[in-house]
Amino acid sequence: MRRLKYHLASLLLILSTAAFSQGVTLPDAERVVLDNGTVLILNENHDVPLIGLEAVMRGGAVADPADKHGLASLLANLLVKGANERSSSEFAEAVAAVGGRLDASAGLESLSVSAEFMSRDADLMVELVADALQRPTLAIEEFETLRDRSIKLITSAKSSDPNRLMSSYANAFLFGEHPYGNPVGGSESSLARVTHGDLLAYYADMLGGDRLIISVSGDFDLASMRDALSAAFGGWRAAAGTPIEVAPTEPPIGSRVYLIDKPGATQTYFYIGNMGVARQFAGRAELDLANTVFGGRFTSMLVTELRTKSGLSYSASSRLDRYSQSGSIFIQSFTETSTTVEAMDVALATLGRLRDNGLDAAMIESSRNYIMGQFPPRLETAAQLAGVFAMLEVNGLDAGYINDYGASLAAATQESIASVIDRVYPPANALVFVILGDAEIIREQVAQYGPVTEVSISAPRFHP
Amino acid sequence: MGAPTTRIIIMALFSELRRRNVLKVALLYALASLLFLWVVGGSLLWLGAPQWANEFVLLVLALGFPVALIFAWAYEITPAGLKKSLDVDQTQSIVYKTGQKLNAAMSVLAVLGILALVGQRLLPTFEFPTIIEPILLAPVYERPENDNVPQEIRAHTLDNGLRIIVWPDHDIPNVVMYNFVRVGGRNEYPGITGLSHFFEHMMFNGTDRRAQGEFDETMEAVGGANNAYTSKDLTVYQDWFPRSALETIFDLESDRLENLAIDPEVVEAERGVVYSERRLRYDNDNFGRLYLEMNATAFSAHPYQFPVIGWVSDVESWTQQEIEEHFSTYYAPNNLTMVFTGDVTPKEIFELAEEYFGGIDAQAPPPPIRTKEPEQLGERRLLVEVDSPTPLLHMTFHTGSATDPETLPMNLLLNILVGGESSRLHRLFVEEEQIALAISGFQMEGFDPGLVYFYLTLPPGADVATAEARMLEELDKIARDGVTPAELEKARNTMTADYWRGLATINGKASALGNAEVFLGDYQRAFSVPDELSAVTAEQLQQVAADVFDPHKMTVGVLRSPLEEDAP
Repeated sequence: MRRLKYHLASLLLILSTAAFSQGVTLPDAERVVLDNGTVLILNENHDVPLIGLEAVMRGGAVADPADKHGLASLLANLLVKGANERSSSEFAEAVAAVGGRLDASAGLESLSVSAEFMSRDADLMVELVADALQRPTLAIEEFETLRDRSIKLITSAKSSDPNRLMSSYANAFLFGEHPYGNPVGGSESSLARVTHGDLLAYYADMLGGDRLIISVSGDFDLASMRDALSAAFGGWRAAAGTPIEVAPTEPPIGSRVYLIDKPGATQTYFYIGNMGVARQFAGRAELDLANTVFGGRFTSMLVTELRTKSGLSYSASSRLDRYSQSGSIFIQSFTETSTTVEAMDVALATLGRLRDNGLDAAMIESSRNYIMGQFPPRLETAAQLAGVFAMLEVNGLDAGYINDYGASLAAATQESIASVIDRVYPPANALVFVILGDAEIIREQVAQYGPVTEVSISAPRFHP
Repeated sequence: MGAPTTRIIIMALFSELRRRNVLKVALLYALASLLFLWVVGGSLLWLGAPQWANEFVLLVLALGFPVALIFAWAYEITPAGLKKSLDVDQTQSIVYKTGQKLNAAMSVLAVLGILALVGQRLLPTFEFPTIIEPILLAPVYERPENDNVPQEIRAHTLDNGLRIIVWPDHDIPNVVMYNFVRVGGRNEYPGITGLSHFFEHMMFNGTDRRAQGEFDETMEAVGGANNAYTSKDLTVYQDWFPRSALETIFDLESDRLENLAIDPEVVEAERGVVYSERRLRYDNDNFGRLYLEMNATAFSAHPYQFPVIGWVSDVESWTQQEIEEHFSTYYAPNNLTMVFTGDVTPKEIFELAEEYFGGIDAQAPPPPIRTKEPEQLGERRLLVEVDSPTPLLHMTFHTGSATDPETLPMNLLLNILVGGESSRLHRLFVEEEQIALAISGFQMEGFDPGLVYFYLTLPPGADVATAEARMLEELDKIARDGVTPAELEKARNTMTADYWRGLATINGKASALGNAEVFLGDYQRAFSVPDELSAVTAEQLQQVAADVFDPHKMTVGVLRSPLEEDAP
């Protein structure tokens, strides 16, 4: 009997594996647009008694005023510090009392509130999310406390964990005054300039029911969840300001070096790259295949050269950030101060090899298997699914972005990949270097890569 | 030409076999034997009869099989009694009626068999000692004993001591493997500190069959990814892969356990990688710097005092012989526990494990850790002076091991004190008094008694002494006044929800099962967490706070910039 059972089980396994061999398919979801413009996306599934909810609006740090970076981030954090009848501590207490999770944060182009909770607590958690978005207290005392602490935490990271600040330095130097250069969490000086009035103005202008997307996935009855969300969000006013339209970025010319001096640093952190591509880039599958091989996994070319073969670094990677209008592509690594140039030269030679040789058939096959093999666990939980549905909606993408991905990976050829590499990975004469380390020792050495702009890590900003 | 004739003869023979009920007798015999073996044979084992008694029963039944068939062919039941088939007048034959009786008998046996199976399912505590499985089908894998454990989980230990636990879950076509190796910082001594962590690196660096880098190349090419971590107690290897890569994973994992190459040149290069990791995590990170000093101070005898990454001078000088001995002692099947969760069946995992790991020899058990940390007799203080605009304050107190009954109450206490935005100390120190930028804490839960650890990031220019005094006041207060019912309820709900969220992924499942098996001695303990959480009382929390937060057994560490007057 048991043996028979196993045979049945194996048969089912084969069937389910076959269904996935062409890629991952998103489950069905219902999309509803309320009268005030709020979009609801509901995916009901009863695997575990949990619900994930993602409320997101376009905007984010790109909508920060030029000298007040970090405003959207401060506002997001303040949304959950007191709302409606609840004080800051009562609000946190209400979430914790049912073992829920409710966070708010700003990204470069969006602001979101995300929650995860047991299905039995759905009424309370929907109420809390609705209060946070529509009835936040935004008390001036809470604002000042949070602003001051945010400034001090940046100061602390400069001494304790400088690696965490590298992307702020890199974006500031790469995009300059373009909104993609805005440090999402702000800088010490920009945060100091933000006032409570700025906060209220941003809230009134940028947040509203007409821009709201609520995606919810998990263990609920679809009709009653739809009714609950419609009642909770359908009456929210529209945002007063015009939505931010981000301008296209200017392609940079020549190579440039940004050196951040941290006296006494025993190691150098470096980013090498340039502007990349937007989220809608047609060669996405080709780019993912190439980047996986170049710097997206442990056997990547960069890890092999910088860690496995030479022991120069503990880790190395190539990171792609894709925004609505543009993006960035950066090699990221770090090494002992004395081997700064050696490690950076290895990285450059590896980039040159990718551009010259492209990917061979075995690399493509391996890269494709890796991407598809690692994909299903990213859509495993209710919270992950809610996040993906929200991401698609806010970026104007449809389910095909996920469902057709396997087919696009399969269709990529050596030639199509080579042409994407040539277009996206910057050539040796158009590179942006962002280097954080002990300038006294490395200043002259890094000048060989291009004109150097140097700042001190103690300067209270990320822009030069 | 001969073929059709042969076929006709065979068909005639077959129809005669059927007419004489030989086939039915054969089937009935087999069914009856199966049930007989199950019930009677099982009872023999149950009553303490040796294994050969069962084998004897099996032998008798097997020998009886041809006898029964010959009998059925040669004789026939008639109203007048038993006669040789050849003597029976075909027109008077009642073989058809006999056949119906045989059918009825088979149905009865089949129903009995099904009832027995169902009974075994419904009454898991009354286990038929199933002889059928060892002899006729497959080895018996351990089923869960407790009702609160998912019944599809199976466990099995190979003859060489390798322990394997499998939790099938077919939601996504992926599998997670955790391999827990019982070696970590606690198994080290001055001279070889950091060696366990070093192996976490070396295990990816080639075998007699595979060159350096091939392990990862092979795994990633079939869609798998991996990682590993080393703690004071364990080295844990993790693989995440699509189901289609299952056999490749077994091949890779068994190869590196059996044939690891420890090439001196590779060893030298890997020391450099460890340096780089050390610089990243400790030398350039103020939290890491202070953390290493705290452990080295809070423990004076027990090896928990050593940094898992190793003292720099040790990393520079482990010898080839020490490296090889470390591997052969600890990387033995009897020192491992493997957990598989996801799109697999227990049977295929245990069969693959037998095939790939079954031939690897067990080793003598590793030497026990004899040193016990003596009682701390008075406060200990340490100061790290490095350039840092924001001072750090760390405080530790001694606690029990993972199996200590105070461990769970202490985790609830930590949740109440420093667990998130609504916690007591976050509200007080970060939001209201603003004497800290951040506060957090954790408890070591290892094989041996450990520490509960609090760490605070203070604002630039803060008075460290004030923060320390406030910490002591609040810890004293919770020991004196206890916690409110609402605080306890909140902590319980938070930890219960975290527990369920952890089990929502196959990765979380593997981690939970493995940690319970390794630290608590039984993977089933992973499923009693919700019940254990609801059983903890406010009085217990207060008692634990009073036991642990003793200022005389505290270690306090401060990291700050050198003071002006100290400068030369």
